Amino acid sequence: MATTERANLIDDRRRLALSHLTRNVVIFVSAIVLMLYVLAPVTWLVSSSFQTEAEIVSVPPHWIPENPTLMNFEAIFGATAEEEVTYETRSGQDPASGGYIPSTAGNLLPAMGNSLIVATLVVILNLLVGVPAAYALAKIRFLGRDASVYFILVTRVIPDIALVVPFFLVIRKLGLLDSLGSLVLTYLAVTVPFTVFILVQFFEGLPDELDKAARVDGCSRFQSLVRVFLPLSLPSLVAVILFTFLTSWNEFLLALMFTQTEASQTLPIVLAAFTSDFTISFSFINAAGVLAIVPPVVVAVIFERYIVSGLTAGAVKG
Amino acid sequence: MTDTVSPSGRGRRLRQRFGYDERNAALFLAPVMVVLMGVAVFPILYSLYLSFFRIKLTRPNQTPFVWFDNYTDLFSNELFWVSVWRTVTFSVVSVSAIAVIALLVSLLLNQEFRGRRVLSTILLIPWAIPYVANALMWKWIYDSGYGALNGLLYQLDFIDKYMIWLGDQDKTIFLIANAFVWKEVPLATILLLVSLKAIPADLYQAARVDGANIWQRFFHITLPAMKPGFMLVMIYETMMAIRHFDLFFILTEGGPGDASHVLSWHIYVETFRNLSFGSGAAMSYVLALVTFALSYIFIRTLGRRI
Repeated sequence: MATTERANLIDDRRRLALSHLTRNVVIFVSAIVLMLYVLAPVTWLVSSSFQTEAEIVSVPPHWIPENPTLMNFEAIFGATAEEEVTYETRSGQDPASGGYIPSTAGNLLPAMGNSLIVATLVVILNLLVGVPAAYALAKIRFLGRDASVYFILVTRVIPDIALVVPFFLVIRKLGLLDSLGSLVLTYLAVTVPFTVFILVQFFEGLPDELDKAARVDGCSRFQSLVRVFLPLSLPSLVAVILFTFLTSWNEFLLALMFTQTEASQTLPIVLAAFTSDFTISFSFINAAGVLAIVPPVVVAVIFERYIVSGLTAGAVKG
Repeated sequence: MTDTVSPSGRGRRLRQRFGYDERNAALFLAPVMVVLMGVAVFPILYSLYLSFFRIKLTRPNQTPFVWFDNYTDLFSNELFWVSVWRTVTFSVVSVSAIAVIALLVSLLLNQEFRGRRVLSTILLIPWAIPYVANALMWKWIYDSGYGALNGLLYQLDFIDKYMIWLGDQDKTIFLIANAFVWKEVPLATILLLVSLKAIPADLYQAARVDGANIWQRFFHITLPAMKPGFMLVMIYETMMAIRHFDLFFILTEGGPGDASHVLSWHIYVETFRNLSFGSGAAMSYVLALVTFALSYIFIRTLGRRI
């Protein structure tokens, strides 16, 4: 009796150990596959941005650069890039191909500056209009609250492409074409509803008693919002700032319609212009791509916790 | 004396008693309403108005009112129907791929194992990358002369010469869908993880006690519990897919031929290359209506949560 029981126990244990092993192997393999799926394309882009034009046109490709070069990045960051790196100088260095660094290479940094200005302004405006609205929807009882919530949700699903034609005609009439202002205004349409949505979710999670206590102590609604709710809602504010910033930084369609010159072109526009020019060196385009990828990825990795919690609270990115 | 409380007095008492406060709410909501009226509601209505006119920027002084001509022209335009079909293909392919991959990834990330946190951080990378950079990256990967896809398949002996991937009418839309899926999977995964995490552990315990094996547990507990999450992901990603523009602009410009001539690209060409703003407005209106129809369920789902 006792021995068969023990044998069964050992058998069970062995089976358990085996199933643990299978589980671990499955997890390990899938984790590796997932990592390759996510990282391989990016790694390839980064690797090609450090290759010379002679190396990048090798068949089959060099997965790791044999003679890594910073030439492409120097062209972007070098103050005198426009004079120094031209078709002739580049061909001289690199006779294997005609691929060259465009004279517009110097536009990348100013475009990044434009993107930064637009994104910052959009963030500030979002907070200014979004925070009070979210507080009202979450903590004030009033007739028409549900209607307001649905209204904001409806504005959230308007496709950006449906706004392009009317925006274009209005902005042209206002004489705002090719200005950063037009971008800031139109980006509000694609960011504000989402901002309100996330903040409402968060404010709802804070107890009503906080509000009441503050009001009993003589705070107005506004003071209660600023002194009690804002300090507590820092994580959701961070999430909102990140989303709004990244959305504006990455936006392409509206910027394509409303910008024409370097005065207002944002990073995605300059980048897109490179990709359609067949004379530009591949390695240079890739370097520009890397440059566009680095800031948002760094931000996302650093603030991962806030982003994930914001995405889950807001359910969906706007 | 009879009770002579005026209606407004009664209203005030009601307000004080139950904390109703329209005046403050209006004050707090005013800025957001002004902004949304200006940048969302007005443009959408203006777009409807524009769609009844024949507006060619090449003839700025002749903008006749044409009733529904823009719409009837649209529906009798062959290229429009081609673009609808391309959009449907692109959306169905990408949304189903996103759903399947995100399901697998979320099941993986729902397990406890070493390196899970690092892996979920890495997964955010595609989400953060701008669409234009994503397009640039995939254009380079698909490159017919020196791209990674050709290089890899060649080295592995799957192909004996380099292929012009994006130039192949039968493959283009799937290759673009692949780039779209790669970027959208992280968000879908995060959304699915929410509903996975909400499943109580004792449900699995009970099922195990009842002798359910791993597949039975998956099909009878996990999948049904993920249904709301799936709904959200499917609807949201469909809305994103049918309006997507950036990848088509950079990777193929609607080509080769009309192989990737999707609706958003059609609108762009009609409006900004043919400078025909009236029909452009009509088309964007059709797209907006389709999105609204789709989002009805979406809004119902989300609206219930607030």
